[in-house]
Amino acid sequence: MEAVVRTEGLTKDYGPVLALDSLTVEVGPGVTGLVGANGAGKSTLIKLLLGLIGSTRGQARVLGHDIATEGAAIRAKVGYLPEHDCLPPDVSASDFIVHLAMMSGLPRVAARERAAEVLRHVGLDEERYRPMGGYSTGMKQKAKLAQALVHDPQLVLLDEPTNGLDPAARDEMLGLVQRIGHDFKIAVIVTSHLLGELERVSDHVVVLDAGRLLRASRTDEFLDATGALLVEVLGDNAHQRMALALDEAGVAATARGQLLSIESPAQDRQGRDPRDLHDLIRDTACDLGIGLVRIQADHRRIEDVFAQEPAEVTQP
Amino acid sequence: MTEPSVIHDLGYRPYSGPRLSQGAIVWSLIVTGLRNAFGLGRSGKSKVLPFILLGLNLFPALILVGVMVLIGLGSLPNGYAAYASSTQVLLGVFVAAQAPVLFSRDLRHGSITLYLARPLPATAYALGRWASLLIATLIFLLLPILLLYIGAILGELDFTEQTSKAAMAALLALLLALNLAGVSGLIASISTRRGFAVVATIAVLLIGNGIVTAIQGIAIDQGESGYAEVAGLFSPYSLYRGSAAAFADGSSIAPPTGSGMETAYVVVFVAIAGLTLGGLLWRYRRVAGS
Repeated sequence: MEAVVRTEGLTKDYGPVLALDSLTVEVGPGVTGLVGANGAGKSTLIKLLLGLIGSTRGQARVLGHDIATEGAAIRAKVGYLPEHDCLPPDVSASDFIVHLAMMSGLPRVAARERAAEVLRHVGLDEERYRPMGGYSTGMKQKAKLAQALVHDPQLVLLDEPTNGLDPAARDEMLGLVQRIGHDFKIAVIVTSHLLGELERVSDHVVVLDAGRLLRASRTDEFLDATGALLVEVLGDNAHQRMALALDEAGVAATARGQLLSIESPAQDRQGRDPRDLHDLIRDTACDLGIGLVRIQADHRRIEDVFAQEPAEVTQP
Repeated sequence: MTEPSVIHDLGYRPYSGPRLSQGAIVWSLIVTGLRNAFGLGRSGKSKVLPFILLGLNLFPALILVGVMVLIGLGSLPNGYAAYASSTQVLLGVFVAAQAPVLFSRDLRHGSITLYLARPLPATAYALGRWASLLIATLIFLLLPILLLYIGAILGELDFTEQTSKAAMAALLALLLALNLAGVSGLIASISTRRGFAVVATIAVLLIGNGIVTAIQGIAIDQGESGYAEVAGLFSPYSLYRGSAAAFADGSSIAPPTGSGMETAYVVVFVAIAGLTLGGLLWRYRRVAGS
């Protein structure tokens, strides 16, 4: 499928700060999480993709348009939810979103219809007719999301959409993000500093660190990438006996809480493939006469990427 | 038996209708901005000030027209071009109060980001806002001229003479509106605080005019009318008065004399309009890049 965003060596140099350092990355349809600490280059990347600032070097295409020359065409097809406040307090959500739909080129009648529809989708009901100054943070975020969707974009850039929300509102917002990516068929790039959120909603994750690409891959690869197995056994001194027996068979096993963590096949000293490892664990337990309660994959978290040594930085 | 009614959730529907050109988008921005400048489409209390000012601005013209028609004077008691000078305080307060509505508001509340993330470039946005303010100011300036003109025609004054005088006044009104919209717009686009923008605009327009008038008065007292004419170049209102006295039926204590000075008045008048608009566009290009 056609890439939604494709950058090649994209660099933004602000003089004293190198905000983005030769970023080469591809973003497809669905929900993509953009992870990085403050100052990692997330906002710079978003501004570059919207064609609002020029790049120092490198190039990028958004929905097939060049960011350097076709900014207006990109902005017509992209929705943007900024991180900071952007709603005038003395206007109702309904009026404001109709106006912004027209600023995206929709005729007045269509703008009214779309605004009503989008406000319904994000869950702003009667309060849409009240001035936005009186809105709660949750309602403001919904109004911001509605304006990003009102012109039926093919891509939305959501900058910290869950910022400042309470847990219930956060769940609702994450649910909406998932619906946009999957049910509405609009590609989503969403940033968050809460990695657990991105694990939940995104299909892909792009990790930026100090303007450089740390990693870009499918979310499940982040989560399963260790390949290590966690094993729970039952019996007298079962953990120690199991570990010892596995060690004799050439597989390293270390205790982790109530479980045994068994090294991934990549680090297997005898080059077994993962199926053999499962068999080995089963056979070893059987030979020792101890109960095998479960074997499960050792799930990592996205945070682990940041804990890796710089030498382990992977390029896709 | 009727079937129970069901609410169908149609789900998300994509939009496949037309998308308008940038020109149409700018036009829509101008119309919305013009409505907002008079408080339309905003809260009830934001309509109060602009309409009170507009009413006060038209009131003398209505009385003049009434007098014209009822008594049947042989000429207009107040010239077309002189009218704006007599209501300059109302005009100054109007642009000072309404320019922040168009410029400071989006900067203050961050909604400028939402405009910039849409097809219009920053300069087109700035031009649209400026045009809204210009048209609002023109409505303020041209309505009284129109009223007086109608009164003059109803009072059966000479049609050709009145038409040419009113047209000249309208042209000068356009120059004044360009100046006022440029100055107040530029100040409002730099200040994100409404109060500061209002005070600064009033200071530049009304206090600036007061200083120029004082200098002109002193210079004439001293018999230095040349200096008085030069001083008049330093404020939009004194430029207007000087130009109105030179080219139309206005009056000034120090009208420009000689074609050199008259040209200087027109050049400076146009230059202020151009420079402030240029400053406005420069300002928004910087906002977009930051």
